[in-house]
Amino acid sequence: MAHPAERHRGRKYVGLPEFAQAGEQILAEMDFEQERGTVTNLPDERTIRYYIAEGLIQAPGEKQGTASVFGYQHLLQLIAIKKLQAEHLPIRKIRELVNGKTERELESLLGIGASSAKRGGSEAKQYLESLLTQSKRFDGPSSPPPPMFAAGAAPSQAQADDTMAASWQRVEIEPGLELHIRSDYTGPTTTAKTRSLADRIRTTINKFWKEKG
Amino acid sequence: MTQQHPKIEFFTTYPKLEADREQIVDVLIRITPPELAPSEKSRPDLNISLVLDRSGSMEGEKMVRARNAAMYCVDQMLVTDRLSVVAFDDHIDVLFPSEPVGNKAGMKDLIRRVTARGSTALHEAWVRGGLTVSEHLLDQGINRVILITDGLANVGVTSTDEIVSQAMGLFQRGVSTSTVGIGANFNEDLLMPMAHSGGGNAWHVVEPHDIEEIFKFELQGLISRFGHTVSLALVPADGVRIVDLLNDFELTETGRFRLPDLQSGGPLDIVVQLKVGAQAVGTTMRLLDLRLGFTPQDLKNAEVVREHQIVEFAPNYEVERLSKNNEVAKATQFLMNARARNEAMKRMDLGEYGAAKDLIAGTLRETIAACAPMMSTPSVMQEAAALEDALESLKDRAKDKLNRKKLAYAAYRHRSGK
Repeated sequence: MAHPAERHRGRKYVGLPEFAQAGEQILAEMDFEQERGTVTNLPDERTIRYYIAEGLIQAPGEKQGTASVFGYQHLLQLIAIKKLQAEHLPIRKIRELVNGKTERELESLLGIGASSAKRGGSEAKQYLESLLTQSKRFDGPSSPPPPMFAAGAAPSQAQADDTMAASWQRVEIEPGLELHIRSDYTGPTTTAKTRSLADRIRTTINKFWKEKG
Repeated sequence: MTQQHPKIEFFTTYPKLEADREQIVDVLIRITPPELAPSEKSRPDLNISLVLDRSGSMEGEKMVRARNAAMYCVDQMLVTDRLSVVAFDDHIDVLFPSEPVGNKAGMKDLIRRVTARGSTALHEAWVRGGLTVSEHLLDQGINRVILITDGLANVGVTSTDEIVSQAMGLFQRGVSTSTVGIGANFNEDLLMPMAHSGGGNAWHVVEPHDIEEIFKFELQGLISRFGHTVSLALVPADGVRIVDLLNDFELTETGRFRLPDLQSGGPLDIVVQLKVGAQAVGTTMRLLDLRLGFTPQDLKNAEVVREHQIVEFAPNYEVERLSKNNEVAKATQFLMNARARNEAMKRMDLGEYGAAKDLIAGTLRETIAACAPMMSTPSVMQEAAALEDALESLKDRAKDKLNRKKLAYAAYRHRSGK
């Protein structure tokens, strides 16, 4: 799911009230919890003026009439300040982390813009979690050894773990031989890759029979 | 980073080949990525987990140096980078999960408190470190686990084949693994293939005071990475045959050679031996076609660079009067030395210490002969010194473990152009 701030990329806010309202909307969606009584959850105009005076939010350079024009970078600065305050960092430290940072650096601080990375990350995460589960299931001399898997293939399980996000489907190739396919698996995209996959499966089967004797 | 391509150069010992005879030709292919612009903003974001062995054997200077190296890492990173630290013995402690490197003092304080105790649950610690990285995977940054250990995996999963296979599996899912082995008692037959299959670097720290230097190389390598997922295809012309590729690169699933990451400004030397049929005087011939595929650090899609080598054939007396390129002999010899080291290790494993010693002695003689014009250059002096050291150490059985590691890591460095 995209970060609430992402849809504000490229937008401008004319005047402090409009800017404060945009900040309030995003922070309400992010649902911050702050315990300290002196720090307000949702920033009002007075708070934002204070942040500008303290150099936490860059003073806007653009004007429309008498109203200051704020942009996406100012919004990121505002959200970052509230996030770091929620982590109980002092103002001095927050200024260090936020002042003078580019949009990209602020987005990175807030974990914004990593949607395709998130997909890749969840694949790596699922893989590692399955390794942990597998090693725990087969601990101890009385447990059978884990099956050998071709390099790169995530180990399958006879029954999917309820806590894992992906599901597995068993497909019979022929009596005595099954493929376990994870729900988010995408197959090879070229003839060469398909051939290579078939070779690896064949090698694995041959190795299984050799070891069986 | 602007889109630029690596420079690809072909060198033979002499700029022309002898005519009228069939011959084996050593071709040095040098791939040099462009230098990075001197700006922090052009360097990739890093998402790293340091997985730090705190088992009992790390007690003393090793633990101190490992902590200092971890703190060095913290100091080099930017607020746009992410870091986590996992300390392990037979228990796994996530000192802090992956977070932006904002509170450096706090991070260093936690690292400073790590002390040595317990056994070595290496596999689970590596998995935990990988989890902290994968929870915040960077799309166009570098996602890596750096495993630092002085010992053997003796708790949990311990099978080398399994762990190496899993490191490859994790690399295919976007997280690479580097390993740092300290001293003489870790298992190089685990750590080296783990890093190789895991898409990272394998380092050997002989003395604890070298740990920080190794970390500088590792971080510098990450920061200056120009391209990854690098593959090489070589297609010889008609009448030319590839006899050998001395770097012993592995093959990818599409039959190309798998190369290490490309580092900005850092040349990668590859030596291929070609059998070339007799050609008449004055012939100009396209000898070899090259296809280099790589994914630039700051882009998602792969790029392809194609080059070819053209040579001219001349009479023998004319060729011998031309300037000799000693770099070709040096690069060839160093790669042959890597093979000799691997062979010496096999002999040591069989208890054939005399044969191992003879191999290294012969390799040293060949190096001195082949690289004579370049004996005063630092790289040749270093190589000769390393071979002399190996020869001396082979006389003492007590040094076998350490000696084997030195041979293994030196061979690995030469083959991957480091």
